[in-house]
Amino acid sequence: MAYVATRGGERAIEQAERLFRAEMGTITPERINEIKAAMPYLVDRVMGEASLYDEDIAALALAQTGGELYEAVLVLRAWRTTQPRLSVADPIEQDALFTHRRLSAAFKDIPGGQLLGPTLDYSHRLLATQVLTGEAFDPVPVEPAATPAPAHQPSVSAWQAANDLVDLPKGDATRPDDIPDITREPLLFPSKRAHTLQSLARGETGGVLALGYAAMRGYGQAHPTVNELRLAEAEIVVTHPKGTKFSAGRVKVSQAEVLSKKDEKLELGFAATLGWNEVKVIAAATLDLNSAGAPKGSATEEEFFLYHTEGVESSGFCIHFKLPHYVTFQSSLDAMRDAKARSAQQKEPAQ
Amino acid sequence: MTIVLDAPRIVITRPLMTLKNVSKSYGAVQAVRDASVEVFPGEVMGIVGESGSGKSTLLRMMNLEDTPDTGSYTLDLPDVQGNLFELDRFARRMLCATKIGIVYQNPHLGLLMNHSSSGNVAERLLVAGERRFLVLRDKAQIALEASEFPLERLDAPPIELSGGMQQRVQLAKAIALEPALLLLDEPTTGLDVSVQALVLDTLKRLQQDRQITMVIVSHDLGVIRTMADRVIVMRRGVVVESGLADQIFQDPQHPYTQQLVHAKL
Amino acid sequence: MSLKTLTRDWEPMSYGFLDASAKRELRRKMLKAVAVPGCQMPYASREVPMARGWGTGGLQVSLTLINPKTCVKVIDQGADDSVNAASIRSFLAKVSGAPTTLDTLKADLIQSRHRIPEEVLREDQVLVLQVPNPEPLRSVQPNMSIARQMHADADYGRMWLQLYEQIVRSGRIMQGASYPSMVNGRHVMTPSPIPRWDVPKLNMAKHLTILSAGREKRIFAVPPYTRVEPLVFDDVPYKVEDHAKLTCNRSGARGFFMNEIPQEDGSSTHEISDSEYGVKAIRRTEGDDIVLGDTWYKNGEMSS
Repeated sequence: MAYVATRGGERAIEQAERLFRAEMGTITPERINEIKAAMPYLVDRVMGEASLYDEDIAALALAQTGGELYEAVLVLRAWRTTQPRLSVADPIEQDALFTHRRLSAAFKDIPGGQLLGPTLDYSHRLLATQVLTGEAFDPVPVEPAATPAPAHQPSVSAWQAANDLVDLPKGDATRPDDIPDITREPLLFPSKRAHTLQSLARGETGGVLALGYAAMRGYGQAHPTVNELRLAEAEIVVTHPKGTKFSAGRVKVSQAEVLSKKDEKLELGFAATLGWNEVKVIAAATLDLNSAGAPKGSATEEEFFLYHTEGVESSGFCIHFKLPHYVTFQSSLDAMRDAKARSAQQKEPAQ
Repeated sequence: MTIVLDAPRIVITRPLMTLKNVSKSYGAVQAVRDASVEVFPGEVMGIVGESGSGKSTLLRMMNLEDTPDTGSYTLDLPDVQGNLFELDRFARRMLCATKIGIVYQNPHLGLLMNHSSSGNVAERLLVAGERRFLVLRDKAQIALEASEFPLERLDAPPIELSGGMQQRVQLAKAIALEPALLLLDEPTTGLDVSVQALVLDTLKRLQQDRQITMVIVSHDLGVIRTMADRVIVMRRGVVVESGLADQIFQDPQHPYTQQLVHAKL
Repeated sequence: MSLKTLTRDWEPMSYGFLDASAKRELRRKMLKAVAVPGCQMPYASREVPMARGWGTGGLQVSLTLINPKTCVKVIDQGADDSVNAASIRSFLAKVSGAPTTLDTLKADLIQSRHRIPEEVLREDQVLVLQVPNPEPLRSVQPNMSIARQMHADADYGRMWLQLYEQIVRSGRIMQGASYPSMVNGRHVMTPSPIPRWDVPKLNMAKHLTILSAGREKRIFAVPPYTRVEPLVFDDVPYKVEDHAKLTCNRSGARGFFMNEIPQEDGSSTHEISDSEYGVKAIRRTEGDDIVLGDTWYKNGEMSS
């Protein structure tokens, strides 16, 4: 009887979840809107890692998980994977992006111009502590430029290609439906180009940064120069079953192109992701730049960095170590004790 | 000083190993051009040449680690047929494990530095299918003993051993399955002169006891002279001269060989 | 006629959570896995509403095989009431409407982490094992592309060498759970982290075992009546855990795999790891009408 009474598993997990949710209280549409408005970069980061562009759903995931990022991304991915693939959007070239911010570290000025756009890069990172004492922090209004920057710019690498400094990758004629899709196929190595770029796009920001930074510090072969960084909006153009092309709206995207010199030519590394996340795309592009010919098992080898920057997998595996492992432990204990007994037997003096 | 010479051996058999018209390029660099080598059972073939002469490339091909652009490779053994360069990966691996032994200059290439020395030798036997622990242990010990490896260090990992000892472990691994062909790639280069002499001694004794067919590659004429019955001289990927060791050393024909021999003497 | 009559209402979730395309892929990969016993088949491995490493591979297989009549049992470390087993069981029931059971004999589908039940499984039962690391070669070759090639070549020398080294160092093979085993004489697989006690249960078993690693995206299988042989030297016999003579201090069951429970006085007591078998044994002693199934081990000895 007593044995049966210990079955507390189901009640325990239910109450544990209630404890977690109790702290967050009621989730309302207002809260979702507030998260969207107040934390667009957090929403962007989560959308990128989930490879799902929907600000409302991403904000909901953040609300539901109390901002536990790994949980938020998992909720989104698990929802995303059950959704049908309706259409494949047209490819977008760089000069077709509606660009908000665009920089090149390679040249002082570039065709189309350097465009600072929204950034904290040159801000002084001071806390607005007055808010804590009851005084609101009101951002100073933006003064519009006398001549507005153009919305579209050519790519820097196009100029370099025209000057025979770089070989641009050839256009890929794969039919849209045949483009390898990492959410529908396993990642195998050597990985397909599409899988590599998709994996980097949904890589976990911190992981991509850690390995990208290792490459930048010297564990990679190539030192990156940021050829072009863009924060932009991309038009999603899809084809109606009847053949009409139409815009399904715009999504925010980030992309980075980094380069280093190799013999007489420049080598490119590229990454892009949904949402605005500069750190991730620069780090990811650096990994891409370093991956060709990287030694097996090094941090810049594709297999190494793609596996280890997959946030849902890595975070899940990390927390799984909390699960009971007493059977495997018992099994090891048995082998250990037996080995110990054997060696004790051998050491006994032969009298 | 008296020099004791081995009794001359008369070769009447077919070659054990034949490498025919082998060429290999890496990009624009031609490493080996139209090289042919025959090695007869029980003899020691020396390949001499400076670094970059293509001698190591040739040896790697003999170990099937590298495939030439053109050329063929045959071993005259009962169960081995055809051009070995045409074997698939699986067949290559089995052939290398059972018929060919190799000792590299760099022990890291040939050994698992953190496994036991006996384990390094046992791996060969495991690949060939031996599944009895005591037999593995016995055979590993016998091979290490034949390589004059101190048996009290049987289970020490190579990482803890001296360079000379590491070469003895490599040698034991190479001869554990009594291969038809033993390849030696600069086996004593980088060792102290005294250690070098001891290792060469072991190789010489092994050769005499077991009549193992060997191919030894070295830039060191002294090593080749100590070991080889016949010699080929390579330069810039081409075999410039070949013949009996004594003949090459006493009466070199090719200007390059003359230069080599005179520089040495 | 309106659009509504032509279409189904929108539902937030497909039957059994996974959509049809995911299930189709899994069915195909399971068939492949059955066709080449012990060989790891890569699959897309969709995200499921559970964290990776928490049985997502096993869950995807269960979700694909399940129907409203499938009777499901879920265990973790042998126990039905372990928190994660409870979580998976309730999720399976919620999204499929399938009935659940704790009794091994009544289950059609058993999803398990780290154990095989003590009662012999039948031909009509399927065992789904959760696998954290599907690659038995990982400890000798962490690079998956190279390891794949080694399987293709049946290049298992390093695997054997590892066992040799353990005997040299410790006088015995030190592998605890996940004992590498040769399947059908061709592929070495990890049987998942089941104890050595459980590995012989897979050899020539009547039931189908599917092993699935969600995080690592690999699926493999041991079809019914297939040889599963732990890698051992001819002269060093395979040793299961020394549990044959232990007695469960709650149920009195003896000769099964046990959990060791440390006591305050420095000693230990033992409880049977297959918790439901223990429960059934107790209830039978109390006079309930309980059927105890045939067990793989009899008096602590594996019956062949």
